[in-house]
Amino acid sequence: MRRYLITRLAQSLLTVWFTVTAVFVLLRLAPGDPAVNYAPPNPTSAQLDAVRAQFGLDQPMAQQYLTFLGHLLRGDIGESFQFRRPALDVVLDRLPYTITLAMAAIVVTALISVPLGVWMARRADTAKELGVNIGTIAGQSMPDFWIGFVLLIIFAVNLGWFPPSGFTSGASIVLPCLTIVVLQIALISRLVRREMTVNLAAPYIGVARARGVSERRLTWGYAFGNSAIPVVTALGTRFAAMLNGVVIVEVVFRWPGVGELVVDALKRRDFPLIQATVLVTVVLALIVQLLVDLLYPLMDPRVRLGQEARR
Amino acid sequence: MSVLSVRDLAVDLMTGAGVIRAVDGISFDIDAGETVTIIGESGSGKSTTAMALLRLLPDDLAVITGHAEIAGRDVAGTRKHIGALRGRTVALIPQDPMTALNPIATIGRQMVEAIRISNRGLSRTDATRKAVGLLRDVHIKEPERRLKAYPHQLSGGQLQRVLIAMALSTGAELIVADEPTSALDVTVQAGILDLLLEIQETTGAALLLITHDLGVARLMSDRIHVMKAGQFVESGDVEDVIGNPAHEYTRTLLDALPSVGPWEEVPV
Repeated sequence: MRRYLITRLAQSLLTVWFTVTAVFVLLRLAPGDPAVNYAPPNPTSAQLDAVRAQFGLDQPMAQQYLTFLGHLLRGDIGESFQFRRPALDVVLDRLPYTITLAMAAIVVTALISVPLGVWMARRADTAKELGVNIGTIAGQSMPDFWIGFVLLIIFAVNLGWFPPSGFTSGASIVLPCLTIVVLQIALISRLVRREMTVNLAAPYIGVARARGVSERRLTWGYAFGNSAIPVVTALGTRFAAMLNGVVIVEVVFRWPGVGELVVDALKRRDFPLIQATVLVTVVLALIVQLLVDLLYPLMDPRVRLGQEARR
Repeated sequence: MSVLSVRDLAVDLMTGAGVIRAVDGISFDIDAGETVTIIGESGSGKSTTAMALLRLLPDDLAVITGHAEIAGRDVAGTRKHIGALRGRTVALIPQDPMTALNPIATIGRQMVEAIRISNRGLSRTDATRKAVGLLRDVHIKEPERRLKAYPHQLSGGQLQRVLIAMALSTGAELIVADEPTSALDVTVQAGILDLLLEIQETTGAALLLITHDLGVARLMSDRIHVMKAGQFVESGDVEDVIGNPAHEYTRTLLDALPSVGPWEEVPV
């Protein structure tokens, strides 16, 4: 177990290093000069040079990179160009909003998709199941900004049930959350359905049925218990992806999360802020994945961490 | 009254290729303490018969006609009674013990669950105590430790003993053993068959044995029914059928049995 954790930690550090390096290089290779955004209007080249010097962008890229790594090791990712304060602080200010939205979305997704998938598995290949399938796939196929706008128009503008944008009260979360959920239901419910169909046909289900185990227990205790690993993995992966900022949804609803922040940072070429966002979200994603993996042995006694699973 | 009574039972299976009559009008009875064996090759309909009697075949895949009663309750015409019979009056010993238990629950949890189905209101502690006793009855060593184990930590023979213990726990009047030894090593088979004989003697349950193995049938049965293409081609006392086979199919089955004699030197 300890060896497993150490290996995982080393792998994670490598992933973090690779990600920040890739972003560092790509940002500087991409066209566009940050200095333009932060110099006075109609800048002279002297003014531009001054801004570049201030941000350290006048150095050769290799030099910039070494400086960046040196600071990173001390936990300093630099000052945001636009906010003039530590970029990490700016991101951490926004992070709770994104985490809240992602949590709400993943919980609601699970609460809807799991029973729905189980229901679909129990009625596999019937007309009703087909109908539900069409509905969820339609939901998955619609673009998120469009779902967002439709929900906005109906529930915020016409009905006025929920605030249209920003974070003004607890109800603000409903529409962005719903938008994400609509996109995730098809994926998760169809995964649940597939796993459940396989497990409901397993021999031990028939044997348990023959000894009088109730259908409810067979479904939830036996078949669902054996479907848990892929379902939890998928939910974990979706959750980690949402922590990267549900960019479009956050922008549509002006949700003050990381996604909205990163769009703004990209537009303004705010390198440190982009770096900080990427760093934070990649670390969070790695933590979520580690937690999911640590759950495996609890869900299936045959799994030994650090070894190949016996199945 | 017979524990199991079957009259003109037929099972039609809906397959992609059309309707197949897997069981085609069979009739037999089993009394308490008796062992009746259905013997036949793969696809003869013997396992389908067992699954149909337990109503384990989905309604949209199998149509059952004819009559069958377990302890006087209709199981062929309706699904109304089978739910109350399963795990109480009738128990199944499955074909492959390695896939017959939930892989993510301990032996103890599954045994306690089975025990509490036939013994309503029994506490978990009492059920666990009973499970230990049952594992002892089926000659499993260190029963307390085995209860904490998961199925993958036990051998096929041990698992089959666990499954027999679970069948025992029900106090069933009818035990259906569907090829109970065919997935096991030959050396393990004998032990399991001995155990089946032993528990039948102590419980006096009726035993419906499904097998393709004439040796097993001969060892275990009072009566046998030779099944081919969904029908009984020959029925009767085990020694009569084997000693004086009337039907050609039975003779073929007998011929397929390797004769055990002294080792012969094989010239190289």
